[in-house]
Amino acid sequence: MAVYRRDARRRPVLLIVVLLSLVLVTVDSRGNGLIDSFRRVARDTLQPVQSVVDSVFSPLRDASDGITGYGAVKDENALLKRRLAELEGRLLRERAVGSEVNELGKLLDLPTIQDATGVAARVIGGAPGNFERTVVINKGTSKGVDVGQPVVAGNGLVGKVTEASSTQATVTLLDSPGFGVGVRLENTNERGIAEGRTGEREMRLNFLSKLLPACGKDSSPDTCISDGELVFTSAVANAAFPPDIPVAKVTGIQKKTGELESTVSLRPLVNLNDITYVKVLRWPELTGG
Amino acid sequence: MVIRRVRLALLIVTLVVLQTTVFPQLRVFGAIPDLCLVATVAVAFEEGPQTGAIFGFVSGLAVDLFLASPLGLSALANSVTGYAVGVFQSGFVRESRTMPMVLGFIGGLVGGTIFAIVGGIAGQSGYLSLTSVRVIFVAAIYDAIVALAVFPFVHWANHDSDMGYSRR
Repeated sequence: MAVYRRDARRRPVLLIVVLLSLVLVTVDSRGNGLIDSFRRVARDTLQPVQSVVDSVFSPLRDASDGITGYGAVKDENALLKRRLAELEGRLLRERAVGSEVNELGKLLDLPTIQDATGVAARVIGGAPGNFERTVVINKGTSKGVDVGQPVVAGNGLVGKVTEASSTQATVTLLDSPGFGVGVRLENTNERGIAEGRTGEREMRLNFLSKLLPACGKDSSPDTCISDGELVFTSAVANAAFPPDIPVAKVTGIQKKTGELESTVSLRPLVNLNDITYVKVLRWPELTGG
Repeated sequence: MVIRRVRLALLIVTLVVLQTTVFPQLRVFGAIPDLCLVATVAVAFEEGPQTGAIFGFVSGLAVDLFLASPLGLSALANSVTGYAVGVFQSGFVRESRTMPMVLGFIGGLVGGTIFAIVGGIAGQSGYLSLTSVRVIFVAAIYDAIVALAVFPFVHWANHDSDMGYSRR
C-alpha cells in the first residue's frame, strides 16, 4: 500500500505565501527596479544552461523531420527567406516614401527609418507562458539593445523590446493584447491606432479622427478603405516607432448589426509565428557625440 | 533533509530551463504545459498542503522571473493549487496509474484559472477572455500528459533516504 508523509506544521503557510505573492504582483505591476534587476540576473545566470539545452534539443527536433542534411538546408532556407523579406520590405517602404506625408515629414525635419541604425539578432525562443506573445532574441544590453526599442524583420514591424538583460532580450509582438502602434493608411494618410486583440492574430484599427467607409465600386481610393491596403507607422514627433515602417494590411471592414462603427481588421505583414532573424532599431537615434 | 531540499531545488531549476527552452517550441493549439505547476501538484500529493503551498510559491517565483507577467502571479497560482491538492489528497486513490494525469489536469485547470483571473485584475491585457478559457483547457490536458514524467521525478527528488516512512 502506498504511503505518504503527513506534514505536521500548523503555521498559516497559505496565508503568508498568498500575501507575499499579492505584494509582489502589486509592486511589479507598478514597475520596480529591484525586481527588474533580479529578472536580468536570473536570465543572464541561466542563459548558458539554456544554450546547452537548446543545442541538445535542436538536433532532436530537426531529426524528427527525417531529412538528411536538414541543418544546412534550414540555414540556407532561413538566409534566403531573410533576403527575400528584406527585398519585400524595401519595396513596401518605397510605396510609403512616395506618399505626401513623407514629403511633409522631410519639410518638418522629422527623423525617418533611413536614419535609424540597428542590431541584428536571432530569435532563440518563444514565450515560456500561455498568456503572452513574446519572443526571446540573442542580443542584450551588452550589444546595445535596450527596453523600448522597436524591432523589425525584413518586411515589417515585429514589435518592441520590453525586457533586456546583458545577453538576451524579450520582444513583445505587435499582435499582443494591449500592444498599440500609431499608424497611417497608405492611400488616405488617415491616422489611427493598430491594436492587438485577445486571442486573435489579426489586429484592429481604431481611427483617431475621421471614420472612413469601405471602398465601393466607384469610390475614389483616397476617400475610403480598400481591402489589401497597407498601413505604415505614422510620422509624429517623439513617436515610439520610426515612421513609414510597414505594419499590416487591411483584411476586412465589417459592421455588425447593432454596432455604431465598422471594424477594420489588419493582418501583420510579418509572420509572427515564424520569425528567425530580426533587427532592433536604435530609436530614437542618439544625436551628438 | 538537506539533500532532499537540494534535489528539489535542482528539480525546479531543471523544470524552469525546460519550460523556457524546450516547450515554447512544442506548442499544441498555442498552449504549453506549466511544468512547475505539475511538480507542485506532485509535491502536494506526497507531502500535504503546507509543503505543497511552499513548493508552489518557490517554483512559481522561479518561473515568474522569465515571464512577462508580474512577479508573484505564478507563485500565487501554484501555491494555492498546491494547497488545495494537498488538502484533498487524502481522498485520492494512491495506487491508480492514472492519478498523476487526473491531478495534472485538475491542477492545470485550477492554476491556470487563478493565473488568468488574478492577472486580469492586476491589469494584464487579454487574460480575461474566452480565448484564455480555451488556452487553459488545452494547457491542462498538456499538463496531464507531462505529469506522467514529472511525478516520478518529483518522487525521486522528494525521497528522504534518512527518514523512515510511516505506514498505514
